[in-house]
Amino acid sequence: MTIQPNDPYFIDFPKRIENIQRQMQKDNIDVYLGSRLRTLSWTTDAFFPWRSFIVIPPEGLPTAFTFVIDAARAADDSWLDEDHVFGFAPMGGQDQIEQIADFIKEILPAGKGRVGVESGMSNYLPEGWLTHYEYQQFAAALSGCELVNAHTIIDRLALIKDVGTINRFKEASRIVDVGHQAVLDAIKNGGWKGVTETEIAGIAALAMRRAGSEWEWSFTGGNEIASGYRTGYAGGACTPATRRPLQAGEPLMVDIHATFKLGLGDHSHNYLIGPATARQRWHADNFVNIVKKTLETYRAGITPSLLAEQMLAFAEAGGFADYMVPGYEHGIGMLGDEWRIGLNDGPFPFWTNPDHVYQENEVLICAMQYACPDENIGFRYENPIVLYKDHCKEMSKFPLAIEEI
Amino acid sequence: MTQNFKYLSPEWRDEAERRLKVELPPDRMNFVTSSMSNIYKNCPDGSEKYLYFKFMEGKFAEMLVGEGESPKPEFAVSGDYQTFAKITRGELGAQKALMTLKLKLKGNMVKALRLASLADRLNKVLATIPTDY
Repeated sequence: MTIQPNDPYFIDFPKRIENIQRQMQKDNIDVYLGSRLRTLSWTTDAFFPWRSFIVIPPEGLPTAFTFVIDAARAADDSWLDEDHVFGFAPMGGQDQIEQIADFIKEILPAGKGRVGVESGMSNYLPEGWLTHYEYQQFAAALSGCELVNAHTIIDRLALIKDVGTINRFKEASRIVDVGHQAVLDAIKNGGWKGVTETEIAGIAALAMRRAGSEWEWSFTGGNEIASGYRTGYAGGACTPATRRPLQAGEPLMVDIHATFKLGLGDHSHNYLIGPATARQRWHADNFVNIVKKTLETYRAGITPSLLAEQMLAFAEAGGFADYMVPGYEHGIGMLGDEWRIGLNDGPFPFWTNPDHVYQENEVLICAMQYACPDENIGFRYENPIVLYKDHCKEMSKFPLAIEEI
Repeated sequence: MTQNFKYLSPEWRDEAERRLKVELPPDRMNFVTSSMSNIYKNCPDGSEKYLYFKFMEGKFAEMLVGEGESPKPEFAVSGDYQTFAKITRGELGAQKALMTLKLKLKGNMVKALRLASLADRLNKVLATIPTDY
């Protein structure tokens, strides 16, 4: 589905492919074989939920390969036409290894050359790195070719977000705000009574879909809802909703996700179901204060470790450092790009480099977790932010507060 | 007594073309434009043969039988001569042959799925030709 250049959500995908091909030439890569979900999203503008690949030749259009049952839909969603989205299936000549290897061999002179692949590891399960088995099979089917790890080509190009991508994130974030308003409307004035975490997730989902969200994209369970002690898991920042009913005197954490054209909304808001104690209010105020401080601090030029040091000092001064989970962000990009910040250049391979220097127009999720398991209380803040020279701008605009309901 | 044609002979090809033109008018072929080759390996004489069809807006445009490399088709199905013979005699389903690696399909499978029923119609017409394999 082609979007015109005057559309606010326009992304110049042919230009992206040309940029990849230019870098392939520099790196002496003849064909790029992408397998990560983030690579598929970033190059095709379509969602590929099944095992999929993209083959990028030295020049011209790329071709995506996916499970045959979904290839026609993916082609319809993508800017690529049906001649550039192939389906594979367990049939002679049509399995993914033979089909893709034959396709690559036709591109390469005499079937020989350097093939860039995506090999690595991630905390994010749907990342889509080439598996050991796939590597072995492609290596055998592409005898005469050298398979080399080349994911950095995509990672570097995808780091700084263009206007169309940022606008998609802004729209997804606007939709998330609609979801938060629906949750607030549903639980206020005693509406929370008898409502479960899963219902909260569903109330938000319905409102967001009505507002145009395609799905609650997070692999962590869609909309993550936690109530009571579940908000305060030690180090915990992953709470798929359960059938637990909301209860008086407990915290409630609402972390909801919307998708707009592969742009991702991800915003968490927190409540205290009344009556709240003074101690609960103290925890809540601590959290709101440090979120404000963090948002004031994020900007181009700062690094994750510098920011963490400043926030830890702030928490220490406020007497609540014991409750802060020491992390303030996670990476984000078009669907499938949800883990590490920046490039794979840190002391621990495939984890965020703590000394990564943020640049203008990087987008990340400001992600903070406050957890006090001993008191059955915790809070989470997530919001996509875009970094500018001397400030950041949060995309979800739902007012920062922890209301007593 | 009905004359039998030798499979893939020039006479068989002519009979196939005659029957296809009569029995598969453009509307029965969904006005499709496409081309397909069957690649027969291990023929009884040891050769490799091809059977190439081309349809233009559903009209039967070309049918070639030959040895060696086929004209480049949109879809190519390759396998042993005996496998194709079994399919034509109705002893083996084409889908089962593909799923058990007895046949290999080259080409965009999404498009091939849309043409599967047409290929089936075509094969059914060919199966009516009295043939010696």
